[in-house]
Amino acid sequence: MKIARILVTLMALAGGTLPLTAFSQDEAPDQGLVADEQILLKQVMTDKRSVYANNLEMTGTESAAFWPVYDEYEAKIKKLDDRFLNLVNNYAAKYDTLTDAEATAGLKEKMAIESERADLKQKYTRKIAKILSPKKALRFAQLETRIEIAVRSQVYSLIPLAH
Amino acid sequence: MNRSLLALTAGMLLMGNAAAQAQTQSPNLNDDTQMLLSQIQADKAAVVLKSLELTDPEARAFTPVYDEYQKERKEIAQRQIAELNKFASNYGSMTDKAAGEILKNWFKIQEDKNDLVKKYAKKFEHVLPKTKVLRFVQVENKLETVVDLQAARVIPLAK
Repeated sequence: MKIARILVTLMALAGGTLPLTAFSQDEAPDQGLVADEQILLKQVMTDKRSVYANNLEMTGTESAAFWPVYDEYEAKIKKLDDRFLNLVNNYAAKYDTLTDAEATAGLKEKMAIESERADLKQKYTRKIAKILSPKKALRFAQLETRIEIAVRSQVYSLIPLAH
Repeated sequence: MNRSLLALTAGMLLMGNAAAQAQTQSPNLNDDTQMLLSQIQADKAAVVLKSLELTDPEARAFTPVYDEYQKERKEIAQRQIAELNKFASNYGSMTDKAAGEILKNWFKIQEDKNDLVKKYAKKFEHVLPKTKVLRFVQVENKLETVVDLQAARVIPLAK
């Protein structure tokens, strides 16, 4: 079965039109492709920055305090995104012959990533509440959640169910 | 799942006098909410059962555990609705205190949702092949995302 690599999702988010069947599980990810994924991931993160810049209505002082904390947060989120990309790519590569042990290990990793992502979001929303205000932190968490849902919705629509 | 409960509740926010509506929520609306919640759960159960392609013995073992899961999940959904209503009633005049409380409760709800799926994935491992447990979580995540997407479309950002 053909399965799209996560790159396709990132392409879609970045406005690209890569056909879904561009990559198959038989093709080992080449270095160029991995590099493309990293570039696209960086693009998504840059777009996120502009979402916050446009929606948090920060004063100059708030801005100066916010961005270093946000960058710290994004660097940690990036590591989780990389783990998730790796997980999806492994799933794609093993899709047709997925063993029970691989299914359990994959599920455990997915749940660990989600749990760490939720912890990070909570921890940094608290930090942002102190820097900006709880009201703006609530707005930040809403925006972050919206972006997460949009990405998740695209990703889940491309990943076939285990069989 | 054309009408999600979250969308219904959140939709109140967009009806102009959101705060007043949320504060004077009628018993009928609560009945409607409960009815919709039950309907959504029934619809969800049908999708999950169909997607898992269970054999008869698997279905017999899976269903009672899944019913337990649904019961616990419903309790979390009710807390989620309460928080949405709190958001609605505070929307026009959100204070930092109210925002802080909503955030705290919202994160706890998300954590409890994740923990619940984790807990039941372990339980399902006793009654289903591991690949079907993975499939269950995948289906659950997809359905959850459909509801979340609808909710995100109608819940305004705090101001």
